[in-house]
Amino acid sequence: MAKHAPAGRSPATWGVVTVLLIVAIIGTLWVPIYARPAPKLGPFPFFYWYQLIWVPVSAVLCWICYLMLRSKPRNRGIVPR
Amino acid sequence: MSHFNAVTFAIVIGSFLIVTYIGFASARWRPAEDPMHLNEWGLGGRGFGSFVSWFLLGGDIYTAYTFIAVPALVYAAGAAGFYALSYTIMVFPIVFVFAPRLWSVARARGYVSPGDFVRGRHGSQGLGLAVATTGILATMPYIALQLVGIESVLTVMGIGSPSGSAWARDLPLIIAFAVTAAYTYLAGLRAPALIAFVKDILIYLTVIVAIIYIPSRIGGWGHIFGVASAHLKTVNPATGKPYGSLVVMPAGEWAFATLALGSALALFVYPHAVTGVFAAKRRDVIRRNAALLPAYSLVLGLIALFGYMARAVPAVNAGVKANGGNPQLSVPLLFAHMFPSWFAGVGDSAIIIGALVPAAVMSIAAANLFTRTVYKELLSPNATPAQETRVARLASLVMKVGALGFAVVLNKTFSINLQLLGGIWILQTFPAVVIGLYTRWFHRIALIIGWAVGMAYGTVEAYRTAGGGQAHFGASTTAVFGHVTYIALVALILNVAVSAVLTLVFRRIGLQDGYDETRPADYTADPETAPPTRAPAGASPAPGRPPVTARAHRAP
Repeated sequence: MAKHAPAGRSPATWGVVTVLLIVAIIGTLWVPIYARPAPKLGPFPFFYWYQLIWVPVSAVLCWICYLMLRSKPRNRGIVPR
Repeated sequence: MSHFNAVTFAIVIGSFLIVTYIGFASARWRPAEDPMHLNEWGLGGRGFGSFVSWFLLGGDIYTAYTFIAVPALVYAAGAAGFYALSYTIMVFPIVFVFAPRLWSVARARGYVSPGDFVRGRHGSQGLGLAVATTGILATMPYIALQLVGIESVLTVMGIGSPSGSAWARDLPLIIAFAVTAAYTYLAGLRAPALIAFVKDILIYLTVIVAIIYIPSRIGGWGHIFGVASAHLKTVNPATGKPYGSLVVMPAGEWAFATLALGSALALFVYPHAVTGVFAAKRRDVIRRNAALLPAYSLVLGLIALFGYMARAVPAVNAGVKANGGNPQLSVPLLFAHMFPSWFAGVGDSAIIIGALVPAAVMSIAAANLFTRTVYKELLSPNATPAQETRVARLASLVMKVGALGFAVVLNKTFSINLQLLGGIWILQTFPAVVIGLYTRWFHRIALIIGWAVGMAYGTVEAYRTAGGGQAHFGASTTAVFGHVTYIALVALILNVAVSAVLTLVFRRIGLQDGYDETRPADYTADPETAPPTRAPAGASPAPGRPPVTARAHRAP
């Protein structure tokens, strides 16, 4: 769904973006979530594979936010000059 | 132990020569109509798209020292070292929020450094100067640490005679740095931007090969974690406590979290990161990169695991012990013992080149700070862009020589202590820079005093912290109300609290605030919406290229 966000983004959009980014930060800021050895993934204790998996997760969250906020592509007309 | 290997050496020399060629050739990359402008030398023409910015920012903020020090910490103390991964995960959502605003206002107003922005936003030369000084002070030891990173590779390669004077011993280091300084002087930010491609390809190659190949040679990940766990459980005779743990203990969680958060907040107020942001062509480039740069975090996480791999190789442990128990040698030793000599050369090159890219960007960033906030503001207000550029070039040389002096003459521990202090210091510019992007509620003088309080507290507290065999600057955490906390974060809270209280006081007594030269629209501006993209960067006064007279309001 590659919808182009309208120029003036709605409060709902900003709300969603805020929540997504907070989730992305809390995911590793709140250490008790992942400071544990089990469940293991193969030989990897939870502490390690959780953090490694959280890297792409936070990247995807940022990408979603980027798509929601990006400026309209090639909107001439508006631009002076 | 470390001994000279001709094949490894040849590969390293070869890649250094290639990079040197690229560095000098980059002066002609995307040629500018007027190269003698700080936008060109200091920001590469402000025209880097998502692709180049990804390499530049990645090459710039994931420094060689990180690639040496993070696995060294994991090698020595285990899970605690993984705060670095947590921190680089957190940093991008934070960057996503504020960096686009910083980019926009810089583009709209022609700022080239965080110091310019603060001066213009708060209408305060003093605050601009405080931010610039902090930036330069924090950057110098950071550059020196890049050299320390190179040094540990050279030590393992058996280069540089252990005897003789400091200067003779470090001759290879000095040559490498002089060459880097020369092409940075000539080409400015274009040089590290292009070299970053080489750096990153080498780093990715090394990491992918290492993460697959080494475990298969030493008995798999189960064995690696087993050895690491056994080591970390043993009691350190010096402290009477275990060396570390495989998973962060409840008592260590607060330190882990505050270190990660504090470092994440600090990273993008470092001048070299800001320089990378300002060099982007469009506002969206920043947000897109916030989602794409975590690829490097993944690499960092894998590199951190090198620490455990190194622990599982007896020859590495012997090598570390033979060199005075310096864990920073663990990664170069791991390469030397596990890879065939030619690939060890690739890995060593990755680290060495990985040190040169950030060192170049850092010296440019510090030069931009000095030129705009000290030279143009205080010494020569009527300087032309060409004069500014000349001064910045010289300043970048001075920064490099200074850092070299640090690394060669002073004790290595001193650079590391200063780097620790640098992290604390740079975070004290957060209120003026980042909070300043959103509000001018804080009074300029309150911000200066808050900054001073944060700096003083952080410095004293770091000085008082013993650890790791040192009486002072032993650790970056201290106990606050029973919680072991990152000093920088405590100092920041103090800084903001003092600024807030004094703002109320100054408002009450009617102390005059500064003039804000920025406008609300500047913070969301995306000036190159219709750029003459085909023309080389710098062709004529394009829209968005800041007018040279942007500072006319300063007439008395």
